[in-house]
Amino acid sequence: MWFELMIGGVLALLCGLDRIAILQILISRPIVAAPVAGILLGEPQIGLQIGVMVELLWLARLPVGAAVPPDDTQVAIAATVLSVALGRQLEAVSIELVLLCLLVALPVGKIGQYFDHRARNYNGHLPIETERALAEGLWRRTQWLHLRGMLSFGAASLLTYLIIVAVGLLIIPPAWPVLSTVFYPSAELMQLALPLVGVAVILGTVNVSRSITLFCASFGMAFLLMWLVQQ
Amino acid sequence: MKLGWQTRLHIWLRLMFLQASWNYQRMQGLGFLFALLPGLRKLYPEEEMHEVSLRHAGYFNTHPYLAPLVAGAVLKLEEERAFHGEERSIDIVDFKEIVAAPYAAIGDALFWGGLRPLAAAIALFFAIKGIIWAPLIFLLMYNLVPFWFRIVFFEYGYRHGIQSVDYIQEHNLADWAIHIKEAAVVVLGGLCAFLVFSHLTENQLPTWPGLLTLLPMVLLGLGARKGLSTLLLIFVTCLTIIVFGLFWADLAGFFKF
Repeated sequence: MWFELMIGGVLALLCGLDRIAILQILISRPIVAAPVAGILLGEPQIGLQIGVMVELLWLARLPVGAAVPPDDTQVAIAATVLSVALGRQLEAVSIELVLLCLLVALPVGKIGQYFDHRARNYNGHLPIETERALAEGLWRRTQWLHLRGMLSFGAASLLTYLIIVAVGLLIIPPAWPVLSTVFYPSAELMQLALPLVGVAVILGTVNVSRSITLFCASFGMAFLLMWLVQQ
Repeated sequence: MKLGWQTRLHIWLRLMFLQASWNYQRMQGLGFLFALLPGLRKLYPEEEMHEVSLRHAGYFNTHPYLAPLVAGAVLKLEEERAFHGEERSIDIVDFKEIVAAPYAAIGDALFWGGLRPLAAAIALFFAIKGIIWAPLIFLLMYNLVPFWFRIVFFEYGYRHGIQSVDYIQEHNLADWAIHIKEAAVVVLGGLCAFLVFSHLTENQLPTWPGLLTLLPMVLLGLGARKGLSTLLLIFVTCLTIIVFGLFWADLAGFFKF
């Protein structure tokens, strides 16, 4: 269990930094972060399933200016770690458990926005210190102050991950015996529904005229083509 | 004095850390100074550096993929200023302020709003089929364009200075953003059809009712447009499915499926 949590923690830190602070090559997207977590923990398909379900959910929330979108990176990583670790502990590696972990992680993940705000606020003291360093001609310190900002973003990511995992570990094991029977008949449909909800939200918020018309035409055409090929 | 390629490479690499100290007061301001410092220190004597640094330590915010274009142009302007003096150069702070917001708007629409959903939708086709390379496909497809922008635009900005603004105008990037968003919507439509069709065939259910999926999706989309939160939509959907699943056997027996 500790091994899985630690691996997840390292990944949460690296991907959390990619979200805002450095590079932004999008290894922080759930479609990348969750499968990588799955591969590192020896369950790539679980990571892939979680990546598919989470990727589209908040894709419409753009990190524009001072806006902070929900931390889907930590949700995806923590849900993967919980699914694998608890799946092994409870001997129940299944889509039902994956869904339960994800449905616990999704609302708890909202706390990531709070930590992100705190990190950005905390970094507010850096410009003042930088001006002091500049006045004294301390170039090395000026540069170090900038890089120090990464610490607060790293801490925000790690805290979000740890809180999601802690809540998951507290809630899921006692709830699993009851909820597994509730989830069993509807698990596959929920697995299908989550990406569809994400696409619906994108359609509702994307700034494209006639987006619903375009979407419906494309959906209908693709569906009919697949039906014709199947006949 | 012109800046050598090693210095420019150093600055470009530092631009990858542009947002390390992002804060509400100056946003990317410190990051911009951090990136430019190796160049500024080559252009100006030590006694002028305090004033020059303060010029770049103020408020600055643009899209991180278009920041290299601004940085390149600013380096060119600083070069001219260091060589010709203040009277023959335009106000560099004004230039930064003028271009930052429009570039940010273009970058947000093009990359976050257009390319990201498009690359994600294409990669999800592979992920749904269980292909473990799906994350790599996403990273390759997505990063190709941003890195082209980051590399080529930085150099273009450095070579053309203030004229680099014309380059952005000529290429109609705002129009490209709209086209990419439209493409993303079309691919998402195909992706959803694929998801629904695969689900129905795997469960040996009749496929035609799959077209009815459009109805709840449009309703959810309209809900999102009205401001309903994604979390609320997720939990309402999941709860409906769970209740539906619990009574599915009874319903199936009643309607003799």
